Amino acid sequence: MSVDYLAAAPPAPITGLPRLIPADPATDHSLAGHLARLGPVPHRGDPRRLIGVVEAAGLTGRGGAAFPVHRKLAAVAGQARDRRRAVVVANGAEGEPASGKDAALLWGAPHLVLDGLQLAAQATGATEAFLYVHRGEELSRRLLGALRQRSAAGLDRVEVEFVQAPDVFLAGEESALVSWINGGPARPAFKQPAVYERGVAGLPTLVQNVETLAHLGLIARFGADWFRAAGTPAEPGTMLVTVHRADGTRYITETGLGTPLSALLPDELAGPADGRIRGGVQAVLAGGYHGAWLAPRQAAGLALSNASLRPAGAFAGAGVLAALPPGRCGLAETARVGRYLALESAGQCGPCFNGLPHIAGALDELAGPRPRRQALADVQRWAGLVTGRGACHHPDGFARFVRSALTVFRAELNAHASGRCTAADHTPFLPVPAVTAGS
Amino acid sequence: MNGITSSTALWYTSRATGVVALLLLTAVMVLGILISRQGRLPGLPRFGATSLHRSVSLLAVAFVALHVATAILDPFVTIGIAAAVVPFASHYEGFWLGLGAISLDLMAALIVTSLLRGRIGRRTWRVVHWLAYLTWPVAFAHSIGSATDMQRGGLLYLGVACAVAVAAALAWRVTAARRAVPPGQRPARVLAEATAGRRLERDRRARAGAGAR
Repeated sequence: MSVDYLAAAPPAPITGLPRLIPADPATDHSLAGHLARLGPVPHRGDPRRLIGVVEAAGLTGRGGAAFPVHRKLAAVAGQARDRRRAVVVANGAEGEPASGKDAALLWGAPHLVLDGLQLAAQATGATEAFLYVHRGEELSRRLLGALRQRSAAGLDRVEVEFVQAPDVFLAGEESALVSWINGGPARPAFKQPAVYERGVAGLPTLVQNVETLAHLGLIARFGADWFRAAGTPAEPGTMLVTVHRADGTRYITETGLGTPLSALLPDELAGPADGRIRGGVQAVLAGGYHGAWLAPRQAAGLALSNASLRPAGAFAGAGVLAALPPGRCGLAETARVGRYLALESAGQCGPCFNGLPHIAGALDELAGPRPRRQALADVQRWAGLVTGRGACHHPDGFARFVRSALTVFRAELNAHASGRCTAADHTPFLPVPAVTAGS
Repeated sequence: MNGITSSTALWYTSRATGVVALLLLTAVMVLGILISRQGRLPGLPRFGATSLHRSVSLLAVAFVALHVATAILDPFVTIGIAAAVVPFASHYEGFWLGLGAISLDLMAALIVTSLLRGRIGRRTWRVVHWLAYLTWPVAFAHSIGSATDMQRGGLLYLGVACAVAVAAALAWRVTAARRAVPPGQRPARVLAEATAGRRLERDRRARAGAGAR
């Protein structure tokens, strides 16, 4: 570990949580306030030594895929050495409707993200940087203001270009992002050659989620050991989570990986000691709309880490948790989200744009009264057929989400088969935006 | 010229292989047009049409090679090797053989780029492959123009049939392209069809159930 690289660290590293977004609502979010709080980004020695620090910290991508960051940094740095140019992109396109953490981070700690973007540019030898965001006028104005403050202060070595992302679910997918910045449609491409070899303008390109970059900004200041003080040894650090409570409210918080789900949804999952659940929840969705439904009893024993969630068929993803309250129809919720996801297919790969809408149609039937037995068989068969058959993982995530519903809501399926629905409340629960067709 | 003798064998071989090559190239063209809009042949999976296109083109190449080689070797008329590849270099039937040379060169470009597709990239390959739309008409004109026996009788009908087949395939391609749904609208289109299909099926069963009672 390079201690001298971190010699410029401020006197007082952040202790405890939150690390990323200051909790105090009166926080000064200007550049001056940010620097007073955290100190300057250290610029000592060979900037590429940061890659070693990141490896020691064990930071992984927080956009959902949890790919080791140091490997991406090293790959782009290697390409940039040969080509003498490279591009870094801060990916704040939060297409997942149930997630709000990237927008919250960009709002509450814009300069930390931009610090991370500069550090990534230095570590890779990048000559161009982009900030890619698609949330609201107000946030855009704030971020442009932050960029202006930095260039006025002469702080950054690489100039950052602001790019507005299109409002589609797949906007943040790496190759779709590259295509959009290159002036094409925001559609995923087959990864040959890979984005780290030929991305924006044909240059080696590093795409990192904005939260990942914010962690980078802190790791450069406080070091790998500091980062590892939270999380598990296998999955160190913290992550931002968006939690939808059963009462319909939503909160965003930062928590160490490995935090029990019952700590994030205490009213729903923290039951009495004998392991019984309070009954305040019907099911928990972990990992967002590409994730999986979990039965409450199962969810109560799991933690927010891939080591814990993967065996249960779910994953930590971008940190979305949703507790479905009793009295709602899980099948109707799944059908509504499934329809949205199907319509958000980029329409490129046959298995995706044919398979997903057909599955959505069958789900719609299952969500209604007395579905034909064939509808369930159709969903099961087609979900198997679309998995692994796209240029991106959209069909895979969709199939995972849908299949988990068939298991977790089996009782509801039986009820519908006999013409009943156990739900008393049919108002939509999970957030689903209106789809603009043809985008 | 009555019957096949040792001196006329090459002449007849050249004529015959030329006719077969035209038939095969027509098949290649029609299959290629079909694939370009992701069409299907009845009873064949989609990749079946693609591999058929490839196999038939290799077969066509063999017949074209035989056709050219026998034409050069045939002592009846002198066509040098140069005239087979350099357009309009032949003294005998200069214009029509020139077209043959052009189509041969174009075919060579198509084959070489297809074999190297993995290296040159899809985009370059695609641009070069558009030359197929030039290659076939030139080869067709060469067939009709240089062979007097293709200008009447059964062989004329064969030529016309080839032209009609390619024209029909082209017409289908243009219509298919015009009807194509842009990627962004495909999922919505499929969903509408799937939902409508399910509703119809349910209604039909409901009616059948009511009838049974």
